[in-house]
Amino acid sequence: MNLFELILKQMRQRLLSTLLTSISILLGVTLAIAVLILGRESRAVFAQSDYGVELVVGPKASPLQLVMNTFYHIDVSPGNIPYGLYEDIATAREFSDNGKRNPFRGMASWAVPIAVGDSYKGRRIIGTSPLLFGADDAGEPLPLTDENGNSRLSRIPVFRTGERYSFSEGHAFAANKLEAVIGSRVARELGLRIGSTFRATHGVPAADLPLGEEHNLEWTVVGVLNETHTANDNVLFIPLLTFYAIFEHEDALEKINALQEGIASPAPNRAPATAATTEVQRPDEGYTRKPDGTIEVKLPKKDWQVSAILVHTRSAKALLDFQFILRNLPDAIGASPADVMAKFFDTFLPKISMMLIIISTLVTVVAGVSIMVSIYNSVMARRREIAIMRALGATKARILTTVCLEAGFIGTIGAVAGFLAGHLLTSIGSWYMYRTFGASLPWWRVGGMEIAYVLCVIVISLLAGLVPAMKAYETPVAENLVAA
Amino acid sequence: MLQVRKLKKTFAPPDGAPAVPVVDVEEFALSAGEQVALLGSSGSGKTTLLHLLAGILAADSGEIVYSIAGAGAINMTLLSEAARDHFRGQHIGYIFQTHHLLPGLTALENVLLGMSFTGRRADRSWAAHLLERVGLNHRLEYKPGKMSVGQQQRVAVARALANRPQLVLADEPTGALDAASALQTMELIRSLCAEVNAALLLVTHDLAIAGKLSKQLQLTAINRAAHGPAPQQAIAGDVA
Repeated sequence: MNLFELILKQMRQRLLSTLLTSISILLGVTLAIAVLILGRESRAVFAQSDYGVELVVGPKASPLQLVMNTFYHIDVSPGNIPYGLYEDIATAREFSDNGKRNPFRGMASWAVPIAVGDSYKGRRIIGTSPLLFGADDAGEPLPLTDENGNSRLSRIPVFRTGERYSFSEGHAFAANKLEAVIGSRVARELGLRIGSTFRATHGVPAADLPLGEEHNLEWTVVGVLNETHTANDNVLFIPLLTFYAIFEHEDALEKINALQEGIASPAPNRAPATAATTEVQRPDEGYTRKPDGTIEVKLPKKDWQVSAILVHTRSAKALLDFQFILRNLPDAIGASPADVMAKFFDTFLPKISMMLIIISTLVTVVAGVSIMVSIYNSVMARRREIAIMRALGATKARILTTVCLEAGFIGTIGAVAGFLAGHLLTSIGSWYMYRTFGASLPWWRVGGMEIAYVLCVIVISLLAGLVPAMKAYETPVAENLVAA
Repeated sequence: MLQVRKLKKTFAPPDGAPAVPVVDVEEFALSAGEQVALLGSSGSGKTTLLHLLAGILAADSGEIVYSIAGAGAINMTLLSEAARDHFRGQHIGYIFQTHHLLPGLTALENVLLGMSFTGRRADRSWAAHLLERVGLNHRLEYKPGKMSVGQQQRVAVARALANRPQLVLADEPTGALDAASALQTMELIRSLCAEVNAALLLVTHDLAIAGKLSKQLQLTAINRAAHGPAPQQAIAGDVA
């Protein structure tokens, strides 16, 4: 019988105590490991530097809210900006709607409008341009080279550098038809396929506001996107024009514009005046349908608004100029998603992580003390056994080693189980994150800090065994043999 | 094989009274393979003497010299505590009055435990053989709690012989057994010691047990600190 067999026998002999002590270690380590993984991986996921766009333009509001709403579909939209601003940015027109020279002319290599406010079975619906999927207004794929053979890739939107949206089935929608493109997860989980139809529900699931009635309009799915591993996998895309064809949106936008122009007063106790939250129910339709399936909206273009605009500029200088102009606009801001998220995490994450690490360290220290108490009690109860082993020839050093190793074993069992449980806990968190906003964490990755933490716990356990080990070391043999 | 000279041990009472001598042996010797019964009544220092001989206790003064084949003469009183532990593990078998088995280990594991502190590889077949010799080949995997007191003591006998010791010290090894079991166990100890050529020093107050060995000594004859009546007087008298 070697030393390890003897230790394992002793641990088995007091199995309940060993298990409970290991579980107390497990709890502390689980918490600490989960915090370490979340701290590391959530930063990598949310504070990624690559969103495929340089700027998101939106109303004057919190840049964080704008980014969270646009890229992660969390929280309500902070408001709207005029469609004319999108046209200024996206087109080469010389003059803006107000007759002044277009300050953004020629700066963007591409720009895509985003309009939010509706949902289908809890998934957000986004009104946008077919350009987002590299298609023209007819839904046909844009050429990747121009007539001179030069690449046009820089003019086609991406969701990550070098990664364009692609279709597992079907194609992009036409800009003026009641067609839709759906994310891979929407197709998988809601069972929508090419040819499926759906109606939008007014309101978004994360807005903490009651969802409204179903709109009368019905969209037909014409394309299913390949997985992008972004929150857009969980989204249904519709043409922006059809968004304005929803009567309730049309009505709300008219009211908003009237308010902004000072023509009308808001109705008392009206819901917030945004396209996303205004609830007006009327049987009217906000569009006319032509025989070819295309539609024309009744809402005048001057009243069109969007929630945000995704922008990629032509050059670094254009980006700087673009940001300078935006800073001087009265009703719009431009936010770099990478900068906003990095700033958010740099501000909050270290403090939260540190707090959680301190808590989990305290839990682990308490668990270490519980090891000490448990082993101490065990040593006190086993003084006769220790005396017998000494009488059989075990040296004091051997007894000390045995007790310390037993504590170390208990700590190792708890630490390794806690390490696995921490990853398991994070996998559950990752699943929840994926369910909530489409982004998941690589919970299986192991970082150096985790290894170091587990090793620390094992060392602490060994040290926790020292106090009872010293007690065992000093056990008077003759006294305990006779006392028995 | 064993030479004891001027061995003294005193204990200080906890109330601060002057130290009381417990062992005071002028001279005592044991030859290789010799089997000696040391007769003494309770409180006469029997166990303390055995603890000193085994190196469990350190002597105040005197010599305990073992002559070990291949190792020469070793004075136990000059060894460090760790060295005494090591020496005991290798060369001395100890049988306690109560079996002192580890309750979490099986009979076989208890015997193997005796081997595990010597630094040598545990000899499983020898351990099994010893248990067979004490009539417990059908109880190898039994834990002490599942065995009778007599069987437990026989495991303890097998454990004491596990390392093929030069000397077996037995402290009232049959004290907890009934008369029939006591004689049977005594016979096992005697024969097994003879089998491995180990000397046997057995302390007892039982004349019948002592009579099984070739030589009997009164403890009072060698330990000047021993008090109380000699065992034969105690049997006749009223020592509690």
